[in-house]
Amino acid sequence: MAGEFFKETVRRCWRQAVYWGVGMGLLGLYIMVVIRDVDMLKQYAELMATMPPALLQAFGIADAAAMATPEGFISFGFYGYALLILAVFAVMMGMSVTANEEDDGVLDVVLSLPVPRWRVVVEKFLAFALIGAAITVIAFGGLLLGMQMSELRVEVGRLALSTLNMVPPLLLMIALTVFCGAIFRRRTTALAAAAVVIVASYFINFLGAAAAGSLADSLRAVSFFAYYDSESVMRSGLNAGNIALLLAATAALVAGSVWAFQRRDIGV
Amino acid sequence: MVQSDPIIQTENLTKVYTSRRSQTRALDRLNLSVQPGEIFGYLGPNGAGKTTTIRLLLDLIRPTAGRARIFGLDAQAHAVEIHRRVGFLPGELSLWRSLTGLQVIRHIANVRGMRDLRCAHQLAERLQLDLSKRVRDYSSGNRRKLGLVIAMMHEPELLILDEPTNGLDPLMQQEFNQMMREVRAEGRTVFLSSHVLGEVQAICDRVGILREGELRAVERVERLTHVDFRWVEMRFREDVPAAWRERLGDISGVSEVSIDGTTLRVRLQGDFDPLLRAVSGGYIRDLRVKEPTLEEIFLTFYDGDGKRAAQPERVKELA
Repeated sequence: MAGEFFKETVRRCWRQAVYWGVGMGLLGLYIMVVIRDVDMLKQYAELMATMPPALLQAFGIADAAAMATPEGFISFGFYGYALLILAVFAVMMGMSVTANEEDDGVLDVVLSLPVPRWRVVVEKFLAFALIGAAITVIAFGGLLLGMQMSELRVEVGRLALSTLNMVPPLLLMIALTVFCGAIFRRRTTALAAAAVVIVASYFINFLGAAAAGSLADSLRAVSFFAYYDSESVMRSGLNAGNIALLLAATAALVAGSVWAFQRRDIGV
Repeated sequence: MVQSDPIIQTENLTKVYTSRRSQTRALDRLNLSVQPGEIFGYLGPNGAGKTTTIRLLLDLIRPTAGRARIFGLDAQAHAVEIHRRVGFLPGELSLWRSLTGLQVIRHIANVRGMRDLRCAHQLAERLQLDLSKRVRDYSSGNRRKLGLVIAMMHEPELLILDEPTNGLDPLMQQEFNQMMREVRAEGRTVFLSSHVLGEVQAICDRVGILREGELRAVERVERLTHVDFRWVEMRFREDVPAAWRERLGDISGVSEVSIDGTTLRVRLQGDFDPLLRAVSGGYIRDLRVKEPTLEEIFLTFYDGDGKRAAQPERVKELA
């Protein structure tokens, strides 16, 4: 029956959305309440200004003065780290699409059912995409709750857009892990491959931002973290080009996963 | 017997696993036909290629050469249609450990588009399986039972079972045998791999014997138990002369001569007459002929010299 793998995956994993979402929400709430007012924020920005500019740029802070604004602070304190946390979630969920079940042998039962392989991949990917999106929604709730408990004020629309901005790279990381699982038969190989690509992507962006004109800087275009850019989204809204690029890469990886998974032997 | 279109047919089905260091020919030019309504036993030791065959039939792995057809459909091109009509029990069954037996059944029934779970409940009851337990809490035998329920609950036309009674207690094995007979009585087909020869002897119509990826023989079970050799035991009035050992050993078809006082035991292949003539000087009190067990026949297929194993014309004739 169409949609059964989607429904079953959501039914089995919705608690994960709650746990991860609450965890992320608590982080958001903490970031909101740790700096109680604008004066404290200014002191924090002055402290940051003493740090090397390259280091600040590495963390996506173009200007230390931006840290004196609630938007800049939240962008750095929450959205910068949130994506790294979500990367862990994305790899875990991406592995659950085929790699884990293949390694456990469950896939033998699944693929003996009257269902094409592509449907298993696509439906489970969509289910984890939904769960990932739900995590960002719950995290957004934590940020809003934190704002009620703090004197910091940020436009809710900006917070919402910045939260929405986390979804495309999250989907990309899930799709990347699914792709690795579809190519490699062994779970450990798939896990290592996905982790290496994500970590390498992060460091290319990190080092490239810190050292303008360097090799890492010229390689930033291949790092998906470069298209996340939470600070500019908080400042001036979503970048449609970045989002389209990330979503297109996600779609290509899912299509590649289906193609690879359709053609290879299962669990040998 | 009128032969109808085979349910399973393979043509030169070959699977070679390639790694950087080596190539392993897991299955070599398998030509096999399984007829509708029969229980076909697929025998062979571990590593013979039984599971590889099954995984190729189910399109879990792809052939290096040759092809398989099920219900007349190409196993690869029409996998979804075939899977709709097939029930499968893997040799090493893994299921979602956090789900209960009933949740697993519901999920699989939903994928199959089944609404009615009565058959699943009846099977579970018959196999004395508690469906409220989580998979992780099942013993290996109960997990096997759950696998059987999953394989059979949609009453498929073809059951493909890989070592189905592994882990089942003797009573449940009896129940399983009865279930397979009922499946056959309904005109459905069973393809089961096994190394439990008693099970094959009890329920199978035909047996295929596989070794090192090659199909060595396909026989009807009753024919298999009547082929080639038997054990002959004679009890004489006087002690059997030791010189007979050499004399009998020279007779064509006689082997494994053992003498124990008045008792002579030989393995006889072919006619009785030369043996009886050779012992005609003695007074025979008792003579017993024992058919070889399937296990002995099985071991014969796998003997070191491979004489019995190399009979391709028989495979061609009976496949």
